[in-house]
Amino acid sequence: MARMALLWKRLMTENVKSLFGVDDEAKAIWVFLEQMGGSLEGVGLELLAQGRRMADDVGWQVVALLLGDQIGHLAKEAIAYGADEVWLAEHSLLKDYTVDAYGGVVCDALMKGKPSVFLAGATPNGRDLLGRLAVRMRAGLTADCTDLRLIADTGVVISEVTGFGGGILALIEAPTHRPQMSTVRPGVFPLGEPDASRGGHVIDFQALLSEDMLQTEVVETVVGAGVDLTQVEALVIGGRGIDGNFDMLRELADALGGDIGATRPPVDDGYIKRERQIGQTGVVCRPKVAIVCGVSGAFHFVVGIQDADTVIAINTDPEAPMFEFADYCIVGDAAEIVPALTRALTLERVLSA
Amino acid sequence: MSDKVIDEIELPADETRVLMTDPPQSETVELEALVLDDELWDQLIELTGGAAAPCYQCGVCTATCPWGTVREEPLSVRTMMRQAQLGLFDGNEDLWLCTACKQCEVYCPRGVPIADVFRALRQLAWERQQVLEGLPNVLWSVYWNNNPLFQPPSQRTAWADNGQLHDFDPAEHEFLLYVGCTASYDRRAQNVARSVVKLLNASGVKYGTLGEGEPCCGEAVLSMGHSPYFEELAAKATSIFQEQKVKKMVVISPHCYDVFQNHYGELKDTVEIYHYTQLLAELVESGRLELGASPELKATFHDPCLLGRGNNEYEAPRKVIGAIPSIELVEMEHTGIDSLCCGGGGGRMWMETEAGERFSDLRVQEAVDIGAEVVVTACPSCIACLEDSAKAQGLKDLRVLDVAELAVLGQDGALVEAAND
Amino acid sequence: MPELKIVVCMKVVPKPEEVGVDTETMRLDRENARSEMNPPDMNALEMALDFKDRYGGSVDILSMGPPFFSDILPVGLAMGANHIYLLSDRGFGGADTLATTYTLAQGIRKIGDVDLIFCGEESSDGATGQVPPGIAEWLNINQITMVNRLDYDAKRKMVRGQREIPGGHQIVDTPLPSVISVATASNEPRFMDYRIKPSAFEDDRITTWAAKDMDVDPGLIGEPGSPTIVSGLDQAPSRERRMEFIGGTPEDIALKLAEILEDRL
Repeated sequence: MARMALLWKRLMTENVKSLFGVDDEAKAIWVFLEQMGGSLEGVGLELLAQGRRMADDVGWQVVALLLGDQIGHLAKEAIAYGADEVWLAEHSLLKDYTVDAYGGVVCDALMKGKPSVFLAGATPNGRDLLGRLAVRMRAGLTADCTDLRLIADTGVVISEVTGFGGGILALIEAPTHRPQMSTVRPGVFPLGEPDASRGGHVIDFQALLSEDMLQTEVVETVVGAGVDLTQVEALVIGGRGIDGNFDMLRELADALGGDIGATRPPVDDGYIKRERQIGQTGVVCRPKVAIVCGVSGAFHFVVGIQDADTVIAINTDPEAPMFEFADYCIVGDAAEIVPALTRALTLERVLSA
Repeated sequence: MSDKVIDEIELPADETRVLMTDPPQSETVELEALVLDDELWDQLIELTGGAAAPCYQCGVCTATCPWGTVREEPLSVRTMMRQAQLGLFDGNEDLWLCTACKQCEVYCPRGVPIADVFRALRQLAWERQQVLEGLPNVLWSVYWNNNPLFQPPSQRTAWADNGQLHDFDPAEHEFLLYVGCTASYDRRAQNVARSVVKLLNASGVKYGTLGEGEPCCGEAVLSMGHSPYFEELAAKATSIFQEQKVKKMVVISPHCYDVFQNHYGELKDTVEIYHYTQLLAELVESGRLELGASPELKATFHDPCLLGRGNNEYEAPRKVIGAIPSIELVEMEHTGIDSLCCGGGGGRMWMETEAGERFSDLRVQEAVDIGAEVVVTACPSCIACLEDSAKAQGLKDLRVLDVAELAVLGQDGALVEAAND
Repeated sequence: MPELKIVVCMKVVPKPEEVGVDTETMRLDRENARSEMNPPDMNALEMALDFKDRYGGSVDILSMGPPFFSDILPVGLAMGANHIYLLSDRGFGGADTLATTYTLAQGIRKIGDVDLIFCGEESSDGATGQVPPGIAEWLNINQITMVNRLDYDAKRKMVRGQREIPGGHQIVDTPLPSVISVATASNEPRFMDYRIKPSAFEDDRITTWAAKDMDVDPGLIGEPGSPTIVSGLDQAPSRERRMEFIGGTPEDIALKLAEILEDRL
């Protein structure tokens, strides 16, 4: 009822209008494929798979939008992962992502293709780009979505988002504006199986760019330097109980694309540097996942990871206070569990590669 | 030295020779740093009421400071005093080492309130934005969450078993039980709060709490040196106690107890403030609380600095322990006014102390040396430090317990009897 | 050298853990929730104040919200900002990020001659992260998002930002004027200076602008200016720790954990 009242109220006011409307839309789901250094970001492929699922339900097309410099070889990959069409824009000024260059090209493409739906990963660049484009196109944008549903008879996308620190779930739609734009949280949608035999065609889209259009310059890109545990998504933390075996934790962290941390005792014993100490007198962080091994769970440590999304605790002591602060509790020896987990994850990676 | 003598000396042809009349190299460097700052001096006089002035640089403070037991070069309290007198502001790390244990104050022949001077210097550090990393976040936690532990204000009463606590009502309750942030949120300290509640219930004392509305006492803020913010917190808390018509208050942490007694101005004139060990001592003496048989234990009592030296209370906890039959109480090497600090005061629970420099490591060793099985104390910070040290030293058989926990240990049967009397 | 004019966009939010959903009316229940300054905005303000310390200039706070924001925003003045501009009007209510960014952009235009706009990366309530690039687009100026370090080159009138990307960082240069979104927890906000705090809460430190005081198109503000609508609300599954024990051989446990991790990462 409330929704109808809101829509009625909107009809009564002169509202903001998107650059193109429902009447002009192409029944297509466009996916922005982010690439860095000539490789596709995983989230783009996840969105192709989800786009494929949604499109197949209603008989729509899936189109991948790919920008970069000398990245034509990625078009085939996009088709294998579910794209019917790939709009490819190659230009030397598209080598590094800047909103100056990408914004204009993507906007041109969207105005040409007029898709009903436009999706991108909620990565730093994805949010940087779509946040700006949504305003340029006067369209609705939902952020960091955890689910998407395309309603068959209305062609409206319903986005599921979380708010208030994850405590609230909201369903959001933008029924009268196009494209329906969303950035999607990486990892929520499963990757599909690539099918090299899939057919699809590549449309070379001309990027109308010149040097003077770009004000922003990417001076340098550095990957894998420095320790900043506050930005790590997967943290493997060792306490007194792992007897300094941080090499074992490092292997697990690598398998997860994360980093290692420690409680105070191993730092005191010299097994690991102070800069990796987590807790009230160390680093306070909010990783997506914290795997806490051989840690008893003193309050001064817990303060350091209490806001982690998921906490997994491994301890030989069934009474360890750490279990009170964990989502998944394993009573066992980290020296056995951690290598087994690393093996399982590595195997998984090898099998799905 | 006369010119004549210099002329007779064969000086090396070396260009780097230093003439006898040249000042020593090190002094040359320091002269540049010794810029007297009148404004700073005036500020310090004002902030400390001239407290640093009487110091005549005898060095007893440096000699008695527990940092001397863990470092090769002890913290030069004397140098800090000198800098304060000269109006110099160093802003270095040493400023944050003081645990406000007051060992120095006890021996200072001039009665200089040394802990106050350190706090005044810290206040200047705040003004110049030269504080240790992590401390502003603690103050923001107090500001937004009403506790220095980064915990949600809505969870302040989660420690209490349902239905156990009653909102303070002056008509019904003799005492306000002031739980404090640490006992409310720190899992280990929550057990102390629950033990105190059990004992109060057993003795029939009528008490209530302020629940989520309990204001943070501000001790962490005071210790870290931010006096102006502390004053604001104290004023707010005082008006809450006044509004609630509190006449008597029983407090769990000596940190809270100390600020209420000594830094809340006139609060102590209108409210009788008890540390819970003082109330338990009274209850035990008057027979309202009987502590039944307990396992035979050899125990020692570690005096929390803020209860012992800070407020001259050494007796009450020992009376309570003494009332528990079959507890043999022994004293550690450093006892009474010489009690060794656990290292947690002066805001240091939010600062890292390097391994090998922790007073509590020495303290637990003292307990072991006199054959104690249990170290009993009456402060959540002391418990945290001592337990951590016992664990780190591998002292598996040494337990650390709060006075209240010791009293409750294996007492449930006996306590129920007392309540039914 | 002309003074740098800096604006920091800040928002007052309810404490997230105190917000619930009334599942009957499907409305947010924030009646009893305590308020705080959006924590990432505190990082943004700290970066702005640090910028002012290093390069000179003025720092003003801009906010869009109901009148009670004026009880809390002065915290920023006590930290060292100069003035607060509060955009407050019933007509601004119900805005999604399109309308919010439009309104804030018009506020910045009204303040005039702004060189740098700092925003928190996202807010703790909506967490869209869309406001900083949205403001930049409305104003047609540059942007650098997710910045944890910023330096200024006065001669070239450019800023150099260190931008966080997964697994590392980028160094990005852009000329002024520019919007900078500041990475959450990338600095430690200075505590309030109590020598200036008393004056921070005085009335003359806030200027409130209603829609009529500003140059705004009624079709672009509030609900009319918002393409998105909320069609459903629910309480998310409990945030209490699950404390789910997993047993079996190390291999069994490893398989179960691998599944959970694939799901969560």
